[in-house]
Amino acid sequence: MKKAYKILPVYTGDVSGFASALYELGGMLVIHDPSGCNSTYNTHDEVRWYKQEALIYISGLNDIDAITGNDDKFISDIVRAAEDMKPKFIALANSPLPYLNGTDFKGISKIIEDRTGLPCFYVQTNAMHDYTMGASKAFLAFAKKMLVHSDKKTKGGINILGSTPLDHTNTKFVIPEGRTLVSNWAYDSSLDEVLNAPSAELNLVVSSTGLAAAEYMKDAFDIPYELLGDYFNVKRERSRNYIVGEPVISGFTAAQIKERYGTDFNVIATTEITDGLLSDCDRKCHGEDEIRDALSDAEVIIGDPLFELISPKSAKFIRLPHFAMSGRLYRKEIPDLMRLEDYYNEP
Amino acid sequence: MQTTENDKIRIADASFPKPFTGGLEFNAPAHGTWNIVHIGFKIPKAHQIYICADNCMRGVVMTAAEMGELSRFSSVILEEDDMVFAGRLEESTIEGVTDVLNSLPEVPPVVIVFPVCVHKFMGCDINFIYDELGKRFPSVKFVRGFMDPVMQKRGTTPDQRLRKAMFDIIPEGEKDGSVTVIGCDMPLGKNKDNDIRILLERQGVNIRDEADCKTLEEYYDLGKCSSVICSYPAGVLGTKAFCSRIGRPFVYMPFTFGYDEIDEALGQIGAVPVFNGRVSCDRTAAGLKTLLADTEIAIDYTAVPRPLSLARFLISHGFNLKRIYLDAIDPDEKEDFDWLVSNAPDVMLCATMHVKGRRPVRSESDRKILAVGQKAAWFEGTEYFVNMIEGGGLYGYAGIKAFLKLMEDAFIVPKDTEDIIPRKGLGCACVL
Repeated sequence: MKKAYKILPVYTGDVSGFASALYELGGMLVIHDPSGCNSTYNTHDEVRWYKQEALIYISGLNDIDAITGNDDKFISDIVRAAEDMKPKFIALANSPLPYLNGTDFKGISKIIEDRTGLPCFYVQTNAMHDYTMGASKAFLAFAKKMLVHSDKKTKGGINILGSTPLDHTNTKFVIPEGRTLVSNWAYDSSLDEVLNAPSAELNLVVSSTGLAAAEYMKDAFDIPYELLGDYFNVKRERSRNYIVGEPVISGFTAAQIKERYGTDFNVIATTEITDGLLSDCDRKCHGEDEIRDALSDAEVIIGDPLFELISPKSAKFIRLPHFAMSGRLYRKEIPDLMRLEDYYNEP
Repeated sequence: MQTTENDKIRIADASFPKPFTGGLEFNAPAHGTWNIVHIGFKIPKAHQIYICADNCMRGVVMTAAEMGELSRFSSVILEEDDMVFAGRLEESTIEGVTDVLNSLPEVPPVVIVFPVCVHKFMGCDINFIYDELGKRFPSVKFVRGFMDPVMQKRGTTPDQRLRKAMFDIIPEGEKDGSVTVIGCDMPLGKNKDNDIRILLERQGVNIRDEADCKTLEEYYDLGKCSSVICSYPAGVLGTKAFCSRIGRPFVYMPFTFGYDEIDEALGQIGAVPVFNGRVSCDRTAAGLKTLLADTEIAIDYTAVPRPLSLARFLISHGFNLKRIYLDAIDPDEKEDFDWLVSNAPDVMLCATMHVKGRRPVRSESDRKILAVGQKAAWFEGTEYFVNMIEGGGLYGYAGIKAFLKLMEDAFIVPKDTEDIIPRKGLGCACVL
């Protein structure tokens, strides 16, 4: 049964993806949820919470307000909190109950904008998808709401799109010679830097969470984009060696291994956004049973250590911890993904 | 008196039992308290199955993962189509649980099933689900958990109801003269720091502790007692139902710092008064006061079940208690609240969930602050703190003296706060 996970955890959810994407941008992020979303997020899905400020809150929705569709408390609580905390913008996220009762988040956003004078936008989560969906929608919604066209271009300017600690916990991107980093969406970049993104000449998509914003900026600001390592330029053949995980990072890793060692790895994409990101030899899997079946003939597997729980004993397993899967369990082992030699070697 | 919209208030100006106006909620990075996953694993051999959406699932499954208990935990993921078609939610729940149980190496004797808020809002037929699961798996005892925090603001919390559901499977046994201690997650202290244990064992009474059952048989034997002690507020709901069902008396004995309350409670379980208890505690407190001098102290509600009782004790023994971190006050603490209003009106009540909690105002001086509890430690930004939840298994005069010793140790030896307090479930196994 697709919906049953006998032993594997689920990936970080979409609400946490939303929060992770916008964490450093100075906004107030409000999850309309009774309880638990914030605790789950800051415990298991966020490495910055202890030391680095971010205004991320839940609404504390109760049963009566949910049943009667009373949005007044939600709105007035946000307005009061904005007066106290002075955010740069406000972003709202949804959870199962407001999703079920059809809460009008766009209307609420408009009211909040009127009452606070701050930009306010809705990110369409419902807690039923993985982090890639939440982060992707958050980046896109932010871009649509906050970016304005720039006539001034940064020569060789580049934006990194799709960089959060969920995928790139310890990754240090090296900017190619002749290029200048304009903004990193959104890890170690300020709001001002991110708002300057339309001045860039190129967007580099480093995970599937950055793809939607890249496509938007291509249409809106005529900024082309490339995938990390331009990995489609490296042709790979079918193989019984698999990389399990997020498709852009896995595709990039597979391409690096092919280039360096000539070995073919196929991607088993286990996160939700895959359109246009997989080669013919790759496949998408959803749920524990599908992943287990896909791995059943594996000779070598690269993936988060938790995938070893459903891997055939005969396969060689190479650990590549992924924070959005195993959270804090193997955090100290998470490598810099730009340094293949730190996690994959062949004689 | 009105609740305050601010994040802190003088106790003399605070409304009882709810000092603070509700609003958006902050969550401090202190996670030593137990959640429903930790609590559920107190039943030996129990398997837990949650039926919920991805984002809700993440918190509970990673709790199990960090305990090293993924083999006793499974998930059934709800998706949009489960909420569109009539009957789909029941079907997904039943078939998902069935699929999980059929795939396990052996069917567990106890399975705790956790439906969620969505099941309630969709009008899901919970009884039908359990009837069907009971038919499919007649050897399994199903514990009716619920992860529905949307109900907790006006009613009981999921963990209160889980404790009750867990007690519901304990059979009534023949009375054997023992005492069962139930409802708290911290095992009853064993090192001469709990007067319940000391006094009952001195009388030859066998104690069964729900928090310390190693086998399922031991867990089921909790029903063989002659009387019951509940030592934690969240356990009272379940204890009442349990005792009513099996026809046993119970005494509620949370870890308090009030001497009269201790004597009265010990009297109710037939224990003889503790010789020199008060004098001994007063002497220990005086010694600690000499060491601490005017050191500022902050306490929080997660450390002990009766924080205002602790506050009163500290104030009345001359300690420099400044702040109490809590979001609401247990109505049982009214007498201590009134005493503090009269005798320590400037003590501040500080909310832990208020939006301003994200920017705690910490002292910029180098002076040492002693905290009791993980939340107080984080808000105060101190590495000198008592790392305790739920009273730590302490009780009585022996418990108070042990607690004062922990304060002394905390004052002398700093802790790595950033490493310790984000870990979940203090006292549980942790693979981090």
